[in-house]
Amino acid sequence: MKKLLVHIVIVASLFFVFDRALGLGLKYMYVRSNATDEYKISYSNETTRDSILFFGSSRCLHHYVPAIFEKELGIGCYNVADWGIKNIYYHYGLLGNILSRYTPKTIIFEIHPCDWLNTPFSGKERATSLAPYCGMSKACDDMLKLSGQYWPYQLSMVYRYSGSLPSLITGKYGSMDRSLKGWKPLEGIIDTMGIKAEEYPFPIDRERVKILEQFILVCQQHHIQLIFIESPMYVCSKQDVFKFPHDLAGKHQIPFLDHYHDSDFVGHPEYFYDFGHFNKKGAEKYSEKIAHELKHIIGSPIQ
Amino acid sequence: MTALLFILTLAFWLIGREIDKSIEQGKEHKSSILTTLSVVVGIGALFYFKYLNFFIGSFVAAANIVGIHISWTAAHIIVPIGLSFFTFKLMSYPLDIYHGKISHDQNFFDFANYIAFFPTILSGPIDRPKPFLKQLKQSRLFNSDNLMVGFRRILWGMFLKMCIADRMDLYVSAVWNNYEHHSAISIVYASLLYPLQMYADFSGYSEMAIGVSLMLGFKVAENFKRPFFTINIANYWSRWHMSLTSWLTDYVFMPLNIKLRDWGTNGTIAAIMLNMTFIGMWHGADWTFFLFGIYHGLWYIPLMLNGQFFKKTKIKLNSHGWPTYPFVLKMIGNYLVVTFGLILFHSSDIIEFWSVICRIPEAWNGSFFFDMPTLVNAALCSIALIYVDIQEEWFPNKKLYLPKRAETWRWELTVALEIVAILLFGIFDNNQFIYFQF
Repeated sequence: MKKLLVHIVIVASLFFVFDRALGLGLKYMYVRSNATDEYKISYSNETTRDSILFFGSSRCLHHYVPAIFEKELGIGCYNVADWGIKNIYYHYGLLGNILSRYTPKTIIFEIHPCDWLNTPFSGKERATSLAPYCGMSKACDDMLKLSGQYWPYQLSMVYRYSGSLPSLITGKYGSMDRSLKGWKPLEGIIDTMGIKAEEYPFPIDRERVKILEQFILVCQQHHIQLIFIESPMYVCSKQDVFKFPHDLAGKHQIPFLDHYHDSDFVGHPEYFYDFGHFNKKGAEKYSEKIAHELKHIIGSPIQ
Repeated sequence: MTALLFILTLAFWLIGREIDKSIEQGKEHKSSILTTLSVVVGIGALFYFKYLNFFIGSFVAAANIVGIHISWTAAHIIVPIGLSFFTFKLMSYPLDIYHGKISHDQNFFDFANYIAFFPTILSGPIDRPKPFLKQLKQSRLFNSDNLMVGFRRILWGMFLKMCIADRMDLYVSAVWNNYEHHSAISIVYASLLYPLQMYADFSGYSEMAIGVSLMLGFKVAENFKRPFFTINIANYWSRWHMSLTSWLTDYVFMPLNIKLRDWGTNGTIAAIMLNMTFIGMWHGADWTFFLFGIYHGLWYIPLMLNGQFFKKTKIKLNSHGWPTYPFVLKMIGNYLVVTFGLILFHSSDIIEFWSVICRIPEAWNGSFFFDMPTLVNAALCSIALIYVDIQEEWFPNKKLYLPKRAETWRWELTVALEIVAILLFGIFDNNQFIYFQF
């Protein structure tokens, strides 16, 4: 028995050494990666200091061109959105990490139904994209705890980078264009055959709503001007999908720029890459329009 | 499932007792009838739960083809998990008593323990009663060596399952589930990966089952012995799912071969074809599995005709201990034979199988679906598997060199590295084992 205990102690010690050494190496590669995903997440969490930040999922990532906003508004902007149907669990953790470094002036939040509905395809596990930042802020840790991965991440640094070794090795040779400031343009035009509106027949998720309200509260506590925004889709749902965020925005006096049905874009294939995402041309035209609208809102006291 | 398992266990234990009594009393005819009864009960349970809907459905479809219209709704039968595994264990008990290999175990709980031994009940290995019941009678003391070796085998099994099988599954499923939209090269590549995925998945499970058993102080049957380092289909089946193939060899092939010996070579071929059809159908109630068995059976015919079936072919090695070039080519050829069979195995029905086969010549011009992280992760881990298999197959005495001081820590180093590798490459989304469905 004593012999076995000695073996276990040796294994535990070796594991700790291997895990920490490899984990630090992976972290080093992660923060130096030029591949889109890793670079975007590490820059958003660790580096950006711009006054205006765009939060959201892939629709935000592809729709808001920081250079256009900077030109129109004269303030530094960065698009911290990430693809992969990221939801409020991710956004709230990211906000916490950013606030642990500095306080942006304005957050423009492209809200998505997966931020308040119980969407089966986008749940708590989305927070695990913040795994490399476990321990960076309480908000991030809280979201990782909800995802059920906080303690595994605490126990193993390697586990935070599970499955990402090939991307990290090749990441140095990635082609992230840093001048785009987080925006990721899409090239191509939608094939309109058989395109249908995306429907969300899911119930409201109380936990997500609570975190969404916490997100709003944290912004208010830090005097960050929060603006909700919704960009157009190629085809719109007949449901009143955005009633809930409209009510929420009204309750908390948050401006809501709802362009979901914007006829300048809806039904115009030349602006779309697919049914829910603008192509480069669409994103630029849309950003110009929004930048003009924001000029009247940004800097004005919270209504 | 528990009630069914209990009833069947009790029934087979009682039949075993009666067979044993009949043999002792010299009542040969009675023991023969009871043994047949036990086989009927075992096959009957399998047939009812697993094959009833399939056979009635096939009969109705055949009747419809010849113009007899029968209306039929499939019965809602839930197949108990592990059924194919524990019924085989149950049947081997009366058969072994009848053949004088064992005598009846007076302790029902020991017998029940053998049938329902938790590490192996879901997906094997299909243990035989003699070695297992013998171990139950021995006293088992705490053994740290068993614990350490068992734990390492569990970790290796986890590595195979989570880092190779589940990684490959991401690619194979992405291509196979949307084969209409994928190029020929992607379909062929996914098909070539599938045997390796199956191997990692099932041998991974077996490693875990063997490891857990060992930690509890039990040695259970081995299930895989580097099946892709074989040069023909007979060799392959002697190393793939060994506990099933040896079961069928002992209880199906050998008796059939003896019965049909008057037919000479044709009798052996018939016995092989039947045996392989059983192997195919054991996996599931579908014509794809039936054809899978027939397909493998057909590959035995040339071996029978040129006399290689009963001959143990030794792979020639060069002066460095590696297999020679012609044997490597034969191994590759055998891998391709297995791959084609597994396309049948993977297809949900014959129509899908045929559509996939037809898609290959149609889609030669498409681009290769290169899912870099998935393929590279799987490739890195597969290198570890291939390295271990090569070492065990051809260089069993040559271990990876470690400095003398570290040599005493070999177990600790391996275990720590395996845990780190699982954390780094593994997929942690509770993917099911492929063989759980059988």
